[in-house]
Amino acid sequence: MKRAHIVIAGTVVGLAGLLSFNSTAVNLSLGSLSAVTAPTRSTTTTTTTPATTTTSLPHSGGSTPPPTTTRVVPTTTATTTTTAAPSTARSATGAATNYSYGVLSVKVTVSGTKVTNVSIASIDDGGNPRSAYIDQASIPLLEQQALSAQSASIQGVSGASYTTAGFEQSLQSALSKLGL
Amino acid sequence: MGTIVTFDLYDEDEPSESVLSLLREAIDVLHQADDDFSTYKYDSPLSRLRRGDVTMAQCPADVGQVLELCNVARNITDGWFDPWSIPGGVDPTGYVKGWAAQRSLDVLRRSGIRGALVNAAGDTASFGGPHAGVPFRIGIVDPAATQHLACVVESPGAVATSGTYERGCHLIDPHTGRPASRAASATVTGSDLGLADAFATALAVAGLQALPLIEALDDFEALIIDDDGTFHTTAGFPAVRTGSKTSS
Repeated sequence: MKRAHIVIAGTVVGLAGLLSFNSTAVNLSLGSLSAVTAPTRSTTTTTTTPATTTTSLPHSGGSTPPPTTTRVVPTTTATTTTTAAPSTARSATGAATNYSYGVLSVKVTVSGTKVTNVSIASIDDGGNPRSAYIDQASIPLLEQQALSAQSASIQGVSGASYTTAGFEQSLQSALSKLGL
Repeated sequence: MGTIVTFDLYDEDEPSESVLSLLREAIDVLHQADDDFSTYKYDSPLSRLRRGDVTMAQCPADVGQVLELCNVARNITDGWFDPWSIPGGVDPTGYVKGWAAQRSLDVLRRSGIRGALVNAAGDTASFGGPHAGVPFRIGIVDPAATQHLACVVESPGAVATSGTYERGCHLIDPHTGRPASRAASATVTGSDLGLADAFATALAVAGLQALPLIEALDDFEALIIDDDGTFHTTAGFPAVRTGSKTSS
């Protein structure tokens, strides 16, 4: 069974893509996914885990504040690369990324190409209690969702709308460092 | 803040170029919805309509269609979902997110793949399943402990959850015009994510009093979780298991 997992996060400054499929490696580019955002990166790997693609686009947001232009987004060109990941456990921490209420970075651990843990490596919300509340509520859910993409028992999670862009971008950055 | 939309595609093989082409088209649907309905884009048709710069007839056809469907949802929910009651002018974004995700999924339906799941920041639309004859299973976040799941449901096509535990009390009671929430979270399952999203919003604001409105519908089921953790469901709610906090 092949599964391609694609994430679209709201941002105005760029588009980052990361892809992996199980079974044999394939070449593809999602460079033209977005007419709004130019820079794209797609990485395809041979893996036994659900595939993940991260791209970015602005999203409708009557209930959300507008995207800012301060986020850090990988700005690689539209290329496709294929790698065979080693099977030992490795970790990487993504770039510190601005989100609505501060700066965070995400640490990801993989065994081979399977993501075994996702956590917040650092977070600075400026000490704002409201920010701290949102972090407390949102971050564990995001960590869980990144992992549940690989869960055999459920394929998705439904919950109240959450803030995500910074998390996804730093996760993307961490995965890129690992060549995934 | 950005809103995340994820696409999970399930099939025997890696996505073919034709499937990826449809995926790009599906993503374009989201871009288009954002262009048409964003209340943060000064020149979006919806923003212009809200300011009175244009008439409905001058807006893209989708704007009129969405507002019509919002009106349907308003009638079904006895006014508990009402984009016209929001201060600042009509704001259908509580419906648009689910509507756009559903339209995006419907594009992928043409691909012939075994299954696809679109998750728009916590609201899911799907067809098919992870394996032949197996429906997608969606975990419902426990509003009292958001790193846990309250239950798991088999998706009939759409699963929407509304609650104030992520972003504070942003829900407006249409009958008073003031913030209100009478449930810790409300989940609606059914055949269409736009309507499910609107109904979940209505239930989160109205609480138990609106549950019979969903019970009366053939295509939709609902779960309300109270502040004390009590579950209330319609008779056909497709829970795989309920009542215990299930660590995910």
